[in-house]
Amino acid sequence: MISSCSGRNERSAGSLPNRSQEDPAISGDGRLLAVISERRGRPSVQLRDVRDGRILPLDQLNRHQPHSSPSLSWNGRYLALITQRGQRRLAVVADRLTGRLHPLPLPGGRDPVKLSLAPDGRQLALQVADQGQWRVELLDLSAMLEPDRPGGAQTTTPAAEARP
Amino acid sequence: MKGPGSALLLVLLIGCSAPRPQPRTDLNGLLRQAGSRRDPALSQRWLVSLTERGGRERVELIDLRSRQPVPLPGLNRADGQPIDVAISADGERLAVVEQRQGRTDLLLYRRRQAAVQRVPIDPPGVPRAVSLDAEGKRLAVQVSRDGRWQVDLIRLP
Repeated sequence: MISSCSGRNERSAGSLPNRSQEDPAISGDGRLLAVISERRGRPSVQLRDVRDGRILPLDQLNRHQPHSSPSLSWNGRYLALITQRGQRRLAVVADRLTGRLHPLPLPGGRDPVKLSLAPDGRQLALQVADQGQWRVELLDLSAMLEPDRPGGAQTTTPAAEARP
Repeated sequence: MKGPGSALLLVLLIGCSAPRPQPRTDLNGLLRQAGSRRDPALSQRWLVSLTERGGRERVELIDLRSRQPVPLPGLNRADGQPIDVAISADGERLAVVEQRQGRTDLLLYRRRQAAVQRVPIDPPGVPRAVSLDAEGKRLAVQVSRDGRWQVDLIRLP
Protein backbone atom coordinates (compact mmCIF):
# COMPACT_ATOMS: atom_id res chain seq x y z
CA MET A 1 0.00 0.00 0.00
CA ILE A 2 1.55 3.28 -1.10
CA SER A 3 0.14 6.62 -0.06
CA SER A 4 1.14 9.97 -1.48
CA CYS A 5 3.09 12.53 0.47
CA SER A 6 2.85 16.21 -0.28
CA GLY A 7 6.34 17.63 -0.40
CA ARG A 8 7.13 21.18 -1.45
CA ASN A 9 9.19 21.33 -4.62
CA GLU A 10 11.61 24.05 -5.51
CA ARG A 11 14.13 24.13 -8.35
CA SER A 12 17.57 24.30 -6.82
CA ALA A 13 18.43 27.93 -6.17
CA GLY A 14 21.12 29.54 -8.27
CA SER A 15 20.94 26.93 -10.99
CA LEU A 16 21.35 27.90 -14.59
CA PRO A 17 18.20 26.69 -16.30
CA ASN A 18 19.94 25.45 -19.45
CA ARG A 19 22.77 23.63 -17.73
CA SER A 20 22.56 19.94 -16.86
CA GLN A 21 22.97 19.04 -13.17
CA GLU A 22 23.54 15.54 -11.82
CA ASP A 23 24.52 13.59 -8.69
CA PRO A 24 23.01 15.88 -6.03
CA ALA A 25 24.34 15.70 -2.46
CA ILE A 26 22.82 17.69 0.38
CA SER A 27 24.72 18.46 3.60
CA GLY A 28 23.46 17.01 6.89
CA ASP A 29 22.12 20.41 8.00
CA GLY A 30 20.37 20.84 4.64
CA ARG A 31 22.11 24.16 3.91
CA LEU A 32 24.54 23.16 1.16
CA LEU A 33 23.97 21.35 -2.10
CA ALA A 34 26.71 19.84 -4.26
CA VAL A 35 25.96 18.86 -7.86
CA ILE A 36 27.99 17.79 -10.89
CA SER A 37 27.65 20.30 -13.69
CA GLU A 38 29.56 20.91 -16.94
CA ARG A 39 32.21 23.60 -16.64
CA ARG A 40 34.13 24.36 -19.84
CA GLY A 41 32.92 21.01 -21.14
CA ARG A 42 34.12 19.02 -18.13
CA PRO A 43 31.90 17.54 -15.41
CA SER A 44 32.85 19.53 -12.31
CA VAL A 45 31.53 19.74 -8.79
CA GLN A 46 29.66 22.89 -7.83
CA LEU A 47 28.71 23.80 -4.26
CA ARG A 48 25.83 26.13 -3.43
CA ASP A 49 24.19 27.61 -0.38
CA VAL A 50 20.54 26.62 -0.87
CA ARG A 51 19.27 29.63 1.11
CA ASP A 52 20.52 32.31 -1.28
CA GLY A 53 21.83 30.30 -4.24
CA ARG A 54 25.35 31.64 -3.70
CA ILE A 55 28.07 29.50 -5.29
CA LEU A 56 30.83 28.69 -2.81
CA PRO A 57 34.49 28.49 -3.87
CA LEU A 58 36.21 25.09 -4.04
CA ASP A 59 39.71 26.17 -5.03
CA GLN A 60 41.28 22.80 -4.22
CA LEU A 61 38.90 21.12 -6.70
CA ASN A 62 39.50 23.20 -9.82
CA ARG A 63 41.37 20.34 -11.48
CA HIS A 64 41.25 16.57 -11.93
CA GLN A 65 37.93 16.41 -13.80
CA PRO A 66 35.71 14.60 -14.49
CA HIS A 67 34.30 14.79 -10.98
CA SER A 68 31.57 12.45 -9.81
CA SER A 69 29.67 11.21 -6.75
CA PRO A 70 29.97 14.16 -4.34
CA SER A 71 29.02 13.63 -0.68
CA LEU A 72 28.89 16.24 2.11
CA SER A 73 29.38 16.02 5.87
CA TRP A 74 27.04 17.50 8.49
CA ASN A 75 27.90 21.21 8.14
CA GLY A 76 29.52 20.76 4.75
CA ARG A 77 33.04 21.09 6.14
CA TYR A 78 34.04 17.97 4.20
CA LEU A 79 33.21 17.28 0.57
CA ALA A 80 34.15 13.80 -0.62
CA LEU A 81 34.08 12.98 -4.33
CA ILE A 82 35.76 10.98 -7.09
CA THR A 83 38.34 12.68 -9.32
CA GLN A 84 40.53 11.68 -12.27
CA ARG A 85 44.33 11.28 -12.00
CA GLY A 86 45.78 10.19 -15.33
CA GLN A 87 44.09 6.91 -16.22
CA ARG A 88 42.86 6.28 -12.68
CA ARG A 89 39.89 7.37 -10.59
CA LEU A 90 40.78 8.64 -7.12
CA ALA A 91 38.49 9.38 -4.17
CA VAL A 92 39.41 12.56 -2.28
CA VAL A 93 38.05 14.49 0.69
CA ALA A 94 38.27 18.29 0.53
CA ASP A 95 38.37 20.00 3.93
CA ARG A 96 36.69 23.38 3.36
CA LEU A 97 37.82 24.65 6.75
CA THR A 98 41.56 24.12 6.26
CA GLY A 99 41.71 24.09 2.45
CA ARG A 100 43.41 20.70 2.48
CA LEU A 101 42.71 17.90 0.03
CA HIS A 102 43.05 14.34 1.35
CA PRO A 103 43.57 11.67 -1.33
CA LEU A 104 42.14 8.24 -0.50
CA PRO A 105 43.99 5.66 -2.61
CA LEU A 106 42.41 2.22 -2.45
CA PRO A 107 44.38 -0.88 -1.50
CA GLY A 108 45.06 -3.04 -4.57
CA GLY A 109 44.97 -0.06 -6.94
CA ARG A 110 41.23 -0.39 -7.59
CA ASP A 111 39.12 2.46 -8.92
CA PRO A 112 36.19 3.83 -6.92
CA VAL A 113 32.83 4.19 -8.69
CA LYS A 114 30.59 5.82 -6.08
CA LEU A 115 31.02 6.99 -2.52
CA SER A 116 29.11 8.17 0.53
CA LEU A 117 30.60 10.07 3.48
CA ALA A 118 29.17 9.61 6.99
CA PRO A 119 27.67 12.88 8.33
CA ASP A 120 30.53 13.36 10.83
CA GLY A 121 33.12 12.63 8.11
CA ARG A 122 34.79 9.83 10.07
CA GLN A 123 33.79 6.98 7.78
CA LEU A 124 33.41 6.53 4.02
CA ALA A 125 31.58 3.89 1.98
CA LEU A 126 33.01 3.18 -1.48
CA GLN A 127 31.59 1.21 -4.37
CA VAL A 128 34.29 -0.64 -6.33
CA ALA A 129 34.38 -3.30 -9.03
CA ASP A 130 35.73 -6.63 -7.81
CA GLN A 131 35.80 -9.83 -9.91
CA GLY A 132 32.98 -8.69 -12.14
CA GLN A 133 30.70 -7.57 -9.32
CA TRP A 134 30.00 -4.37 -7.44
CA ARG A 135 31.25 -4.31 -3.87
CA VAL A 136 30.89 -1.77 -1.09
CA GLU A 137 33.78 -1.24 1.29
CA LEU A 138 34.05 0.95 4.36
CA LEU A 139 37.05 3.12 5.19
CA ASP A 140 37.74 4.50 8.64
CA LEU A 141 38.89 8.14 8.31
CA SER A 142 38.91 8.94 12.02
CA ALA A 143 42.72 9.15 12.18
CA MET A 144 42.70 11.71 9.32
CA LEU A 145 39.69 13.94 9.89
CA GLU A 146 38.25 15.77 12.86
CA PRO A 147 34.54 15.09 13.30
CA ASP A 148 32.09 17.54 11.68
CA ARG A 149 29.35 17.49 14.29
CA PRO A 150 25.83 18.91 14.26
CA GLY A 151 25.59 22.51 15.40
CA GLY A 152 28.60 23.67 13.44
CA ALA A 153 31.24 23.11 16.14
CA GLN A 154 34.62 23.51 14.47
CA THR A 155 37.63 22.43 16.42
CA THR A 156 40.57 23.40 14.23
CA THR A 157 42.19 26.79 14.02
CA PRO A 158 42.04 27.30 10.24
CA ALA A 159 45.14 29.48 9.94
CA ALA A 160 47.36 26.92 11.68
CA GLU A 161 46.03 23.98 9.67
CA ALA A 162 46.01 25.65 6.28
CA ARG A 163 49.79 25.98 6.12
CA PRO A 164 51.50 23.20 4.20
CA MET B 1 73.34 6.05 6.54
CA LYS B 2 73.18 2.26 6.80
CA GLY B 3 72.23 -0.40 9.31
CA PRO B 4 69.91 -0.03 12.29
CA GLY B 5 70.14 3.78 12.14
CA SER B 6 68.53 3.97 8.68
CA ALA B 7 65.86 1.46 9.68
CA LEU B 8 65.01 3.59 12.71
CA LEU B 9 64.90 6.72 10.55
CA LEU B 10 62.56 4.93 8.12
CA VAL B 11 60.25 3.92 10.96
CA LEU B 12 60.27 7.46 12.29
CA LEU B 13 59.51 8.88 8.83
CA ILE B 14 56.62 6.47 8.30
CA GLY B 15 55.41 7.21 11.81
CA CYS B 16 55.40 10.92 11.04
CA SER B 17 53.70 10.72 7.64
CA ALA B 18 50.06 11.69 7.27
CA PRO B 19 47.54 9.29 8.76
CA ARG B 20 45.96 7.05 6.16
CA PRO B 21 42.43 5.73 5.74
CA GLN B 22 41.98 2.31 7.29
CA PRO B 23 39.77 -0.38 5.73
CA ARG B 24 37.05 -1.54 8.15
CA THR B 25 38.08 -5.17 7.83
CA ASP B 26 35.57 -6.18 10.53
CA LEU B 27 32.68 -5.04 8.33
CA ASN B 28 34.09 -5.46 4.81
CA GLY B 29 33.95 -9.27 5.14
CA LEU B 30 30.23 -9.07 5.89
CA LEU B 31 29.67 -6.65 3.00
CA ARG B 32 31.37 -9.09 0.62
CA GLN B 33 28.85 -11.85 1.34
CA ALA B 34 26.06 -10.53 -0.92
CA GLY B 35 26.10 -11.27 -4.67
CA SER B 36 26.67 -7.68 -5.70
CA ARG B 37 26.29 -4.43 -3.78
CA ARG B 38 26.14 -0.87 -5.14
CA ASP B 39 25.01 2.71 -4.47
CA PRO B 40 26.01 2.95 -0.81
CA ALA B 41 24.58 5.65 1.46
CA LEU B 42 26.09 6.04 4.90
CA SER B 43 24.85 7.58 8.14
CA GLN B 44 26.60 7.31 11.48
CA ARG B 45 25.25 3.90 12.39
CA TRP B 46 23.59 2.71 9.20
CA LEU B 47 24.66 1.64 5.74
CA VAL B 48 22.02 1.29 3.06
CA SER B 49 22.78 -0.07 -0.41
CA LEU B 50 21.25 -1.89 -3.37
CA THR B 51 22.12 -5.52 -2.94
CA GLU B 52 21.59 -8.47 -5.22
CA ARG B 53 20.18 -11.59 -3.60
CA GLY B 54 18.60 -14.48 -5.47
CA GLY B 55 18.96 -12.74 -8.83
CA ARG B 56 17.19 -9.50 -7.94
CA GLU B 57 18.25 -6.23 -6.40
CA ARG B 58 16.72 -4.91 -3.22
CA VAL B 59 17.30 -2.14 -0.72
CA GLU B 60 19.30 -3.52 2.20
CA LEU B 61 19.92 -1.70 5.47
CA ILE B 62 22.77 -2.78 7.73
CA ASP B 63 23.16 -1.75 11.37
CA LEU B 64 26.91 -1.15 11.57
CA ARG B 65 26.84 -1.50 15.35
CA SER B 66 25.27 -4.97 15.47
CA ARG B 67 26.62 -5.85 11.98
CA GLN B 68 23.21 -7.23 11.06
CA PRO B 69 20.83 -6.51 8.18
CA VAL B 70 17.65 -4.81 9.41
CA PRO B 71 14.23 -5.78 7.97
CA LEU B 72 12.44 -3.16 5.85
CA PRO B 73 8.87 -4.49 5.74
CA GLY B 74 6.82 -3.25 2.82
CA LEU B 75 9.67 -1.54 0.96
CA ASN B 76 11.07 -4.19 -1.40
CA ARG B 77 8.38 -5.40 -3.77
CA ALA B 78 8.77 -8.39 -6.07
CA ASP B 79 8.16 -6.36 -9.25
CA GLY B 80 10.12 -3.27 -8.19
CA GLN B 81 13.65 -2.38 -9.31
CA PRO B 82 15.44 0.08 -7.00
CA ILE B 83 17.56 2.68 -8.81
CA ASP B 84 19.04 4.73 -5.96
CA VAL B 85 18.67 5.12 -2.20
CA ALA B 86 19.47 7.69 0.51
CA ILE B 87 19.16 7.65 4.32
CA SER B 88 18.64 10.15 7.15
CA ALA B 89 21.25 10.36 9.93
CA ASP B 90 19.17 8.40 12.44
CA GLY B 91 18.36 5.70 9.88
CA GLU B 92 14.63 6.34 10.29
CA ARG B 93 13.88 7.72 6.79
CA LEU B 94 14.91 6.25 3.46
CA ALA B 95 14.40 7.90 0.08
CA VAL B 96 14.25 5.41 -2.79
CA VAL B 97 13.98 5.81 -6.55
CA GLU B 98 12.12 2.74 -7.80
CA GLN B 99 11.15 1.49 -11.24
CA ARG B 100 7.95 -0.54 -11.27
CA GLN B 101 5.36 -1.40 -13.89
CA GLY B 102 6.88 0.93 -16.47
CA ARG B 103 7.13 4.02 -14.28
CA THR B 104 9.82 5.48 -12.04
CA ASP B 105 8.79 6.89 -8.66
CA LEU B 106 10.44 8.73 -5.82
CA LEU B 107 9.45 7.06 -2.54
CA LEU B 108 9.84 7.98 1.11
CA TYR B 109 9.98 5.08 3.56
CA ARG B 110 9.53 5.60 7.29
CA ARG B 111 10.87 2.65 9.24
CA ARG B 112 8.87 3.15 12.42
CA GLN B 113 5.56 3.03 10.58
CA ALA B 114 6.87 0.66 7.86
CA ALA B 115 5.09 3.10 5.51
CA VAL B 116 5.94 3.84 1.88
CA GLN B 117 4.81 7.19 0.46
CA ARG B 118 5.16 8.43 -3.08
CA VAL B 119 6.77 11.88 -3.28
CA PRO B 120 5.27 13.87 -6.18
CA ILE B 121 7.68 15.52 -8.62
CA ASP B 122 6.35 18.82 -9.86
CA PRO B 123 6.66 19.74 -12.69
CA PRO B 124 6.67 16.08 -13.70
CA GLY B 125 9.96 14.37 -14.52
CA VAL B 126 11.73 11.05 -14.13
CA PRO B 127 13.82 10.78 -10.93
CA ARG B 128 17.28 9.19 -10.95
CA ALA B 129 19.61 10.01 -8.02
CA VAL B 130 18.53 11.10 -4.55
CA SER B 131 20.10 12.61 -1.40
CA LEU B 132 18.59 13.29 2.05
CA ASP B 133 19.70 15.70 4.76
CA ALA B 134 20.34 14.43 8.31
CA GLU B 135 16.75 14.93 9.48
CA GLY B 136 15.33 13.35 6.34
CA LYS B 137 13.21 16.46 5.77
CA ARG B 138 15.06 17.98 2.84
CA LEU B 139 15.58 15.94 -0.26
CA ALA B 140 17.63 16.66 -3.40
CA VAL B 141 16.70 14.62 -6.45
CA GLN B 142 18.12 14.45 -9.98
CA VAL B 143 15.23 14.58 -12.43
CA SER B 144 15.12 14.07 -16.20
CA ARG B 145 12.97 16.89 -17.55
CA ASP B 146 12.81 18.63 -20.94
CA GLY B 147 15.62 16.44 -22.24
CA ARG B 148 18.20 17.26 -19.57
CA TRP B 149 19.08 16.53 -15.95
CA GLN B 150 17.91 18.98 -13.34
CA VAL B 151 18.11 18.95 -9.53
CA ASP B 152 14.99 19.62 -7.45
CA LEU B 153 14.96 20.38 -3.74
CA ILE B 154 11.91 19.06 -1.92
CA ARG B 155 10.86 19.81 1.65
CA LEU B 156 9.16 16.87 3.30
CA PRO B 157 6.64 17.03 6.15
